[in-house]
Amino acid sequence: MKEVNIDVLKNVANSLMFDMSEDEYRLLEGEFNTIIKQMELIHNIKGVNEISPMTFPYEVTTSTLREDEPSDVISTEDALKNAKDVIENQIRIPRVLK
Amino acid sequence: MLEPVIGLEIHIEMKTKSKMFSSAPVNYGDETNTNVTVYDLGFPGVLPTVNKGAVINAIRVCHALHMEIDPVLRFDRKNYFYSDLPKGYQITQYYKPIGRNGYLTFNTSTGEHKIEIERLHIEEDTAKQLHSYDCTLIDYNRCGTPLIEIVSKPQIHSSEEAMKYIDEIRSIVSFLDVSDGKMEEGSLRCDVNISIHEVGSEKLGTKVEIKNLNSIMNVQKVLDYEFERQSKCLETGEPIIQETRRFDETSRTTQAMRNKTDAVDYKYYPEANIIPISLDQAFIDDAIKTSNELASSKLKRYLQCGLSEYDANILISDKDLSNYFDNIVKNGVSYKLSANWLIGDVSAALNKFDIPISQFPLTPAQIAEIISLIEKGEINNKQGREIFAKILENNTLSISELASEFNKGMISSSDDLLKIIEEVLDENEQSIIDYKAGRDKALGYLMGQVMKKTGGKVNPKDTNSLLLEELKRR
Repeated sequence: MKEVNIDVLKNVANSLMFDMSEDEYRLLEGEFNTIIKQMELIHNIKGVNEISPMTFPYEVTTSTLREDEPSDVISTEDALKNAKDVIENQIRIPRVLK
Repeated sequence: MLEPVIGLEIHIEMKTKSKMFSSAPVNYGDETNTNVTVYDLGFPGVLPTVNKGAVINAIRVCHALHMEIDPVLRFDRKNYFYSDLPKGYQITQYYKPIGRNGYLTFNTSTGEHKIEIERLHIEEDTAKQLHSYDCTLIDYNRCGTPLIEIVSKPQIHSSEEAMKYIDEIRSIVSFLDVSDGKMEEGSLRCDVNISIHEVGSEKLGTKVEIKNLNSIMNVQKVLDYEFERQSKCLETGEPIIQETRRFDETSRTTQAMRNKTDAVDYKYYPEANIIPISLDQAFIDDAIKTSNELASSKLKRYLQCGLSEYDANILISDKDLSNYFDNIVKNGVSYKLSANWLIGDVSAALNKFDIPISQFPLTPAQIAEIISLIEKGEINNKQGREIFAKILENNTLSISELASEFNKGMISSSDDLLKIIEEVLDENEQSIIDYKAGRDKALGYLMGQVMKKTGGKVNPKDTNSLLLEELKRR
């Protein structure tokens, strides 16, 4: 299995266009190492390679779809509450286009 | 000889009441940041719920494009970190689109074309960003609006075909009432990819992508420019680079944005917050059965009912116009007369008042009432027009009362009418000879003479049959 170290994490973060502090990278590296150890445990189970990976814990489907009716709208005030900078009810950020 | 090889990706904003994965309303042009829920803003712990109306819409478009519909809906996560999507990812259908393997047929000046469609998938739109010189302003109203993306195979070989393909897709989504399909308002957006190769060659050239084109004319300009540019590259030996370019409207040229090595890795994976959804066959069938009639089907019906190709094409060029027409003929009046009225007098009034048919004050039933009176011979065309003009000025007037006003003083006795016809025939012997010699114009002339003599106070239908009878006798 590919080793997950700080360089790999930085490369992934870079591909996804974000960055973190060194402490956060170290924390994440530790978490990944724990996960990898657990994966290795699973890998040692006999015949595990013959089982295809699953996205969901159970092979179930639902038939539930939401009716197309508006609800649960929050006020503009609430929507903009966490924004650092607001102008004319729009969130203002540094220019994102070069 | 070189030819372009073009593939199109069309994004269509759906006209649903609520968003794709949240219950926020979808309303174009509302005050900024008023149509948002905690889901659209990516608050911790928020979960998506799939909009039934959007799924029904997608099924209808898949059916119109002759696609195989996947009865199990599955969604995937496209990760990217950008201010227009606060969750940090877009939910889309990367691995299992709802529709596959369809096609679209249409005609251009070079003949009929059948373009295969690779896939149609459902996804969510991003927020609208307004870029000024020193900052970017974000409005999250659009964030989460339901989208369908339709991806053609690279089988288009001219800008004319590309324009017609887009126009056909626009017509389909508009007639199905899935979307406004307005490129100028951004509800239909187009990415094109184009390469060039020798006609007949199986080998494809290096592909260039141009994103977010907002008018059919710009698609044409981009494709024509790129064909020229890439052809020149081949001539001069300059390499064509696989890249994304953008269209500059001012210079009407394309400019490099990013090449393939800069492409973002979206790290797609199945969306774990949405369990696969089984669509019952009855649900799929019902969505198809209850969908609106497409322009192509209306065209066939109009032609079968006696409309000229010219009139039929005018009617199907606008969904609202054709719906108005269908609501007129629903009242049992003639297709031909209805089309004449709609394309003639009604369209002239729309032009005069500069309003779309959706805002026309007269109902289709009112127009049908006037047409019906003309068909029954109770009023003539001219009187119909006068009634139309009066109703247009004052919509509280009754059409039947106005018609009976015209009928006051009408010559209703057939004896009186016959007398006048005889007089007219006596005065126009040459016309009788002409009529007998097969010159139909003579009949029209004689009718005109009767109308003139009576000041139009006769029933045209009765007059016509009496005149014919009398002509036979002579």
